[in-house]
Amino acid sequence: MSATPPDKQPDADAAQEQVLGVTGVRQAGGGLASAPVAGAAGRRPVRRSARHGVADQVRGARWWRELGWRHAVGIVAVVYALVPVLYLFSASVNPVGSIATTELVPRDFSLVWFSELGNNPQRPFYRWLANTVTVAAVVVVVQIFFSTLAAFAFSRLRFKGRRPGLLSLLLIQMFPQVLATVALFRIFSAVGQVVPAFGLDTLAGYILVMLGASLGQVWLIKGAFDSIPRELDEAAKIDGAGHAGLFFRILLPLLRPVLVVTGLLVFVSVIAEFMLASIFLRSTDVKTVSVGMYGVLLGDMSNNLGWFAAASVVVALPVILLFQYLQRYIVGGITAGSVKG
Amino acid sequence: MTITDKLRTPTDGPPARRRRPPASTGVYVVKVVGLTLIAATLVSVLPTVVATGQWGFLAVFVAVAALLVAVYSTRRAVPAKYLVPGVTMLLLFLVYPIMLTFQLSTTNYGDGTRSSRSEAITRIVGTSAVQVPGGAVYSLVVGTQGTPTAGPFAFFLVDTQTDQVFRGTQTELTELGPSEVTVADGTVAAADGWTMLTRQQVNAISGADQPLDGFTVPAGDNAVIKVQGFQAITMRTPLVYDKKADTITNTDTGAVYHPERSSSGDRSFFVDADGNRLSNQSWGENVGAFNYERIFTDSRITGPFLSIFLWTVVFATASVGLTFFLGLGLAVVLNDPRLRFQRFYRSALVLPYAIPGFISLMVWSGFWNQRFGLVNQMLGLDVNWLGQTWSARVAVILTNLWMGFPYMFLVCTGALQSIPSELKEAAAIDGASGFTQFRKITFPLLLVSVAPLLVAAFAFNFNNFNAIQLLTRGGPFSSDNPTAGGTDILISYTYRLAFGTGGQQIGFASAVSVVLFVLTGAIAAVQFRATRFLEDVN
Amino acid sequence: MRRIMQTAIAATTVALLATACGGSGSGGSTGKATETAPVRGSQDLVIWTDEVKLPAIKAVADEFGKANGITVDVQAVVNTRADFITANQAGNGPDIVVGAHDWLGQLVANGSVDPVQLSADTIAMYSDKSVQAVTYDGQVYGVPYSIETLALFCNKSAVGDQAFATLDDAVAAGQAAKDAGKVESALNVPVGIAGDPYHMQPLYTSAGGYLFGTTDDGSHNPDDLGVGTAAGIKAGQKISALGQAGVLSTAITADNAIGLFAAGKAGCLVSGPWALSDVRKGLGDDGYTLMPIPGFAGMDPAEPFAGVNSFFIASNGKNKNFAQAFVTGTTSGGLNTVEAMTTLFEAENRPPAMTEVREAVAVANPDVETFAAAADAAAPMPAIPAMDQVWTPLGVAYANIVGGADAATEMTKAAETITAAVAKS
Repeated sequence: MSATPPDKQPDADAAQEQVLGVTGVRQAGGGLASAPVAGAAGRRPVRRSARHGVADQVRGARWWRELGWRHAVGIVAVVYALVPVLYLFSASVNPVGSIATTELVPRDFSLVWFSELGNNPQRPFYRWLANTVTVAAVVVVVQIFFSTLAAFAFSRLRFKGRRPGLLSLLLIQMFPQVLATVALFRIFSAVGQVVPAFGLDTLAGYILVMLGASLGQVWLIKGAFDSIPRELDEAAKIDGAGHAGLFFRILLPLLRPVLVVTGLLVFVSVIAEFMLASIFLRSTDVKTVSVGMYGVLLGDMSNNLGWFAAASVVVALPVILLFQYLQRYIVGGITAGSVKG
Repeated sequence: MTITDKLRTPTDGPPARRRRPPASTGVYVVKVVGLTLIAATLVSVLPTVVATGQWGFLAVFVAVAALLVAVYSTRRAVPAKYLVPGVTMLLLFLVYPIMLTFQLSTTNYGDGTRSSRSEAITRIVGTSAVQVPGGAVYSLVVGTQGTPTAGPFAFFLVDTQTDQVFRGTQTELTELGPSEVTVADGTVAAADGWTMLTRQQVNAISGADQPLDGFTVPAGDNAVIKVQGFQAITMRTPLVYDKKADTITNTDTGAVYHPERSSSGDRSFFVDADGNRLSNQSWGENVGAFNYERIFTDSRITGPFLSIFLWTVVFATASVGLTFFLGLGLAVVLNDPRLRFQRFYRSALVLPYAIPGFISLMVWSGFWNQRFGLVNQMLGLDVNWLGQTWSARVAVILTNLWMGFPYMFLVCTGALQSIPSELKEAAAIDGASGFTQFRKITFPLLLVSVAPLLVAAFAFNFNNFNAIQLLTRGGPFSSDNPTAGGTDILISYTYRLAFGTGGQQIGFASAVSVVLFVLTGAIAAVQFRATRFLEDVN
Repeated sequence: MRRIMQTAIAATTVALLATACGGSGSGGSTGKATETAPVRGSQDLVIWTDEVKLPAIKAVADEFGKANGITVDVQAVVNTRADFITANQAGNGPDIVVGAHDWLGQLVANGSVDPVQLSADTIAMYSDKSVQAVTYDGQVYGVPYSIETLALFCNKSAVGDQAFATLDDAVAAGQAAKDAGKVESALNVPVGIAGDPYHMQPLYTSAGGYLFGTTDDGSHNPDDLGVGTAAGIKAGQKISALGQAGVLSTAITADNAIGLFAAGKAGCLVSGPWALSDVRKGLGDDGYTLMPIPGFAGMDPAEPFAGVNSFFIASNGKNKNFAQAFVTGTTSGGLNTVEAMTTLFEAENRPPAMTEVREAVAVANPDVETFAAAADAAAPMPAIPAMDQVWTPLGVAYANIVGGADAATEMTKAAETITAAVAKS
């Protein structure tokens, strides 16, 4: 059953397997419309045995020819990827904390900068971190939810202006918000007069600005929707599910991998945003880490490197862990959306 | 398994007959709460809207609320139910700002032209006011005969030199006898029929467009008594604006200033007969297509614009191309299922992507220093990386490569894994070598799924503001063109025009933004066409 | 249809109930509020400055707040000047902004700040240089509090404990230390890839160069540009010679110059009072000497720029009275008092602009007095808007000259660029 092409088999089991395969959680094929689709579950054990059996036997020159050089390339690449990270770490544990005294391998080891993070009321780092997490959480949830809603409409529903709507969405998304800074500033100073809670210098207002990109993930998520066979919809409709039931109960759970990945992409981009934040967020208490840390480093680059590096490590560490934790989703999730089913 | 169960159950049971099941209580509650929120918000902001006159805000709010009610209260318009939330945010916070930006691009808005004409004239005249030498300084208390916010108000003044007490209104200054007021600590404490305001109350009614804004007491000889903190001082204004003649006259020197177009072509200044400016303040005007003409005709702009545009294309292409090929190469090399430590390699290679970009960029900008930077130190070089245009460009691209390859690595790994191995096996049986197999089968299949992401990455890098701003700030600059640097891409160039210290030209920068927007869209459209992506959109 | 009606009716009922409850609460309080004070920002006085100045400003502002029973908020804004101009125009700005006096040209052109009216007695409390700096178009626009300029730091253990009579002596001593392997560079003058006209100014002026001539009333004359003149080119050649000799280098930037010197890796350093704490930390309280920058042998005295940190009153602030009372105040809590200026000095350790405070702290703070003496010899940075057109091309010319380009060509090119830009603005 697992090898049956889905177009001839409206069986829910096959559909489910294909979805998982497409989203790439497992090493399964089926992402390409033209390719014959093999079920994920069927092939996995074969792969696993091949992995162990062959790897254990390969030795010597053949090992080098087939695997060894891959390790060599991998090690070089890892060094390339890690050297700047190592430098950052080294700077964060360097008690002097200046550029001139920081080297790749730390000579002194001190956590003084880390303890400094929580001690300076002029630079309430953890407050900034909390603000960033708040903004990122709201933006991720809302943007992914709104994008998913729209992606559902574009993928599953037929309406007038669908294709032009999709294409103009693609175009509008390309306008960088930074270029509209002055306009945004004017809009929010007017909003702030009526609803101060959403004006300039408020997290809520900044979040609204960020939500201008609410449909930013429509493309990727629509691709994932497209890869779920429509037979599933039919089955759900027979079951008596309305469009909402179909969306929330049937399709949404299937999309989890791609939602996780797009969510992570949004999360990283929100954390890194600093240009608009530097214009919208001025009070010490409402700053995000990016604008706060940028201000500190700009204030005195030569002496605040240690502080900056320690702050960087604290900001980056959870993101790195998140990436590692979600890695199984990530590898397949990014492409899943762009693969048309 | 849950899905399987869910889907199986109905087929086992009786077939569903009703096409429209009643909306659940949950949905009903959501609708009620939503409507409630809208109504409550409307009621709570209404007083402020009336007070501040932000009717546009009200109109937008009502329109959005009406749209939401219309869409979610009926059973029709199903697609709209899914599109409205995101599209509303898009329209409000992306499309509307774009439209405002376009509107700004038809003005001369920027340094020196932020005020309206009348504001500018008031300000030019107002800032010429000087304290009359030897003029009286008074302690000030403001009294009201009505409410603390509406007046009528009067100044109660005690001369700090002579201790004389006065009451001043906008029309006259009256000296008061000891019987009329109580003076304590050099200020008036009470007066019959008047309520004295606290400092906070005075402060509150002195802002722009408040009752005490511009409240002055005539003091003879063209001088007036004006508030200065919680004192009042005697001042006179040498400049006088003649509305009919549209000139400003300095009554001390007799010089007459008239507005004249400056050589920049988009603004006017008040100048005397010899062309000397009275002030560097100008005012906002609509200039139509002037800014756009300037982009395409002013040789000081067209030159840099073209070369920056070319470099922007090169930068974006190189960034996408190099990150893609490095990412692809690593993905292919490390994709062998027999490889040990595969998970470690993948974890380590993702690290650069997991570190927030602004941190990476700021750290890298230090790496490129000629003498102390990590790059020269580790490679034993002595290159002034960011000091010369070409090496700076190489540095920018290499930095971007480090930041971007993990993404491509992930993308390619995912895409490789979704290519059925049966295809490769079939090719292998046909005798294709490893590379041929990759070139003929794997790569084309991979490209199909990755191409749209490459186009998106191109568009992103085309406007990758942070990469330039945080790394080189557009530099190095040449001494004959301070506005266009060697590594400037269009967006960083535009940003400097708009917000740089060298005189903000927001109107002009908005015009460049619009052109940039059109360019980005056009290039993306061409690329999509080339990759046949649009045709596939269904 | 029936369902729609039902929903609408239910919603309306709930809404009415909700707003009735909420309305009586909030409506009542706004009603009361209008009787006592209309809607206004949460703080009675809002001040913007940058991250570095914030602690000092907060210290004096809090004093004023306490003395007047009002709330004060001091905010560090990343792009203070640009954001202030934009926000002030939109009516969202602070009441006071604290920054360097050379912002004035741009601030005045945008109508962003009000002149301050200080009595002759008050003005007399400040040094002439600082008052000159905050005067623009004949009006005083700010209250100065500290004056910053460059001086010469030298590492005692590398070049000995001597006051250098000429810059050449300092360079020679540094060079000897470098040759002896004690340090890595003789003299650290920040140049960087974009050039640093501010730090180069003492060298440029000592070698005979000038930026703008002055008009009869002492203000800068944008029509008289000194960069491309014979004197400017000659000064450029002196800089070129120092670059050739390896004394000046584009690898030394404002970011690393201080750190390297403090780490004992340079003989001497051209920098300002902001470097003091690091230098002391790195070399010890007694490990360095400090002196006003001497001129080159047989050439003019070095005339660095002075930057005067000042308080400006925003033209669109919401709390003008408190802003004026603070900035022009001469009584308790006001800025123009010895107490306030001492507070600022103690928090920031920059040479005070108020003469009395400077004299009071001179004995206990010899370094501050040295910087103050250096400031006496310095020229206030020109505030005219044309300066913005000068920094970048001049900086690039310096960087190129230090990197080996021909001085005459670079200085002429920079002069042409500046002239064209000034004429067009």
